[in-house]
Amino acid sequence: MALGVHHKLEHQPAPSLFARGPSAFARLIFFATLSFALIATDTRFHYLLGVRQFFITILHPFEIIANLPATIYHNTNEYFSTHNRLLDENTRLKQKTLELGVAIQKLNSLALENKHLRELLQANQRLPVHSIVAEVIHVGRDVFTKKIFVNRGKLHQVVAGEAVVDANGVIGQVTRVFPLSSEVTLVTDKSLAIPVQVERNGLRAIAFGLGRDNAIDLPFLPTNVDVQRGDVLTTSGIDGVYPAGLAVALVIQVDIAPNAPFARIICKPIGGTENHRQVLLVGTPPGTNTEKRSLEDAAINEPLSAKHSSMTPNSIVNQLTTPRQQDASE
Amino acid sequence: MPQSNFKIIYFSLVIAFICLLFPWSGLALKLRPDFLLITIILWLIRAPNLCNIGTAWLAGLFVDIATGGIFGQYALAYTITAYCAVVYQKRLVLFNHTQQLLYVFFLLIISQVTLLILKAFSGQPLLSWAYFLPSITGVLLWRTAVALGLNTGGRARGT
Repeated sequence: MALGVHHKLEHQPAPSLFARGPSAFARLIFFATLSFALIATDTRFHYLLGVRQFFITILHPFEIIANLPATIYHNTNEYFSTHNRLLDENTRLKQKTLELGVAIQKLNSLALENKHLRELLQANQRLPVHSIVAEVIHVGRDVFTKKIFVNRGKLHQVVAGEAVVDANGVIGQVTRVFPLSSEVTLVTDKSLAIPVQVERNGLRAIAFGLGRDNAIDLPFLPTNVDVQRGDVLTTSGIDGVYPAGLAVALVIQVDIAPNAPFARIICKPIGGTENHRQVLLVGTPPGTNTEKRSLEDAAINEPLSAKHSSMTPNSIVNQLTTPRQQDASE
Repeated sequence: MPQSNFKIIYFSLVIAFICLLFPWSGLALKLRPDFLLITIILWLIRAPNLCNIGTAWLAGLFVDIATGGIFGQYALAYTITAYCAVVYQKRLVLFNHTQQLLYVFFLLIISQVTLLILKAFSGQPLLSWAYFLPSITGVLLWRTAVALGLNTGGRARGT
């Protein structure tokens, strides 16, 4: 009843009030200006990070609701998974544990040996990395960027800049941390750069995401560079962000045009950038002097890689890529 | 009417927003229509006194937060689209379904082109024509909704 009265009271003024409000064009100008102001503030001054974090936290319940169907699907799937499949998985995992156990024994002795060698060389010790297991909540909703969101955030001690890896290799880097989730930019995103090393000959370069086709680009390498189809790129560890030696990509295409100054090298990420649910966030412990360490690392690596074939392109590449590397690390 | 309509409008906008938040991936992400913009266009045509350019701007801001892109991109795209819808609102109500459908397609394309321009300025890679697929799926969604009896303010009778 009260609603009825209300309705009679409200019905009359509403159209005239709104119809005679600011004209559509005035509103357009007002809100467009506001949008441009926001774009400018966000891109130039980065003031809005706090605001964004606040809103992301508010949006979290919505995300949970939106993820509910998928969660229920996965849970029921797990519930109804057959006995055979579980047994199968169990044997497979046991075998894998065995294999990894053997590998780790080897690793322990190698780590010890490495420590002794580093002591002999009076080099800094590599600090142990700490890692957090996270689950992918959803893929980024923006079609222009290659991002995923994982369910670990500031409350779980995730720090922006941590490397994100899966069982096969690097898949990206944590770029924004929210209280309960964080944003991971994939290696295939155009804005992400990773210092890499060709496993075969130790050649250093910087890999950039291509932004489309799930591919990685290896730009600014001279045409006489020693990179072949099938080469594996691993992290060089020079940046202090990614632990050294993680697989990044596989070279799938090397085009050398006679009139182009640089070779066109396209690689495919080794880590499952688009098909895993569990990922590992790997970070160097806070407070380490990464710059100093990486410089020393580079100095130690130099004589090693000098043994390998192409040193001249190497130095050219270093000169070429250094400014870009600084850019990318910002 | 206005009281209940107000609730329905904002409830439907929240639902549309949750639809956007679903964990879409792969092909589904490429085909995903812009549920929120379509809902806004619907209410801009049907209830222009309750849903206007400001509503569109606010909704765009929420999409900006959800996508994690630069603040204001979707807000601007939605504002411009809403303006185009509002300017023709009185005519849109008189349109028949086919004419309305074409205009909605035009509006969805406007929003995508605005975004494309903004993204191109911020140095994102240009995408293939598949980028415009959401507009087509959006129009199909609109058509399905009309076929299922949703009142979009258009006239059912022939041209």
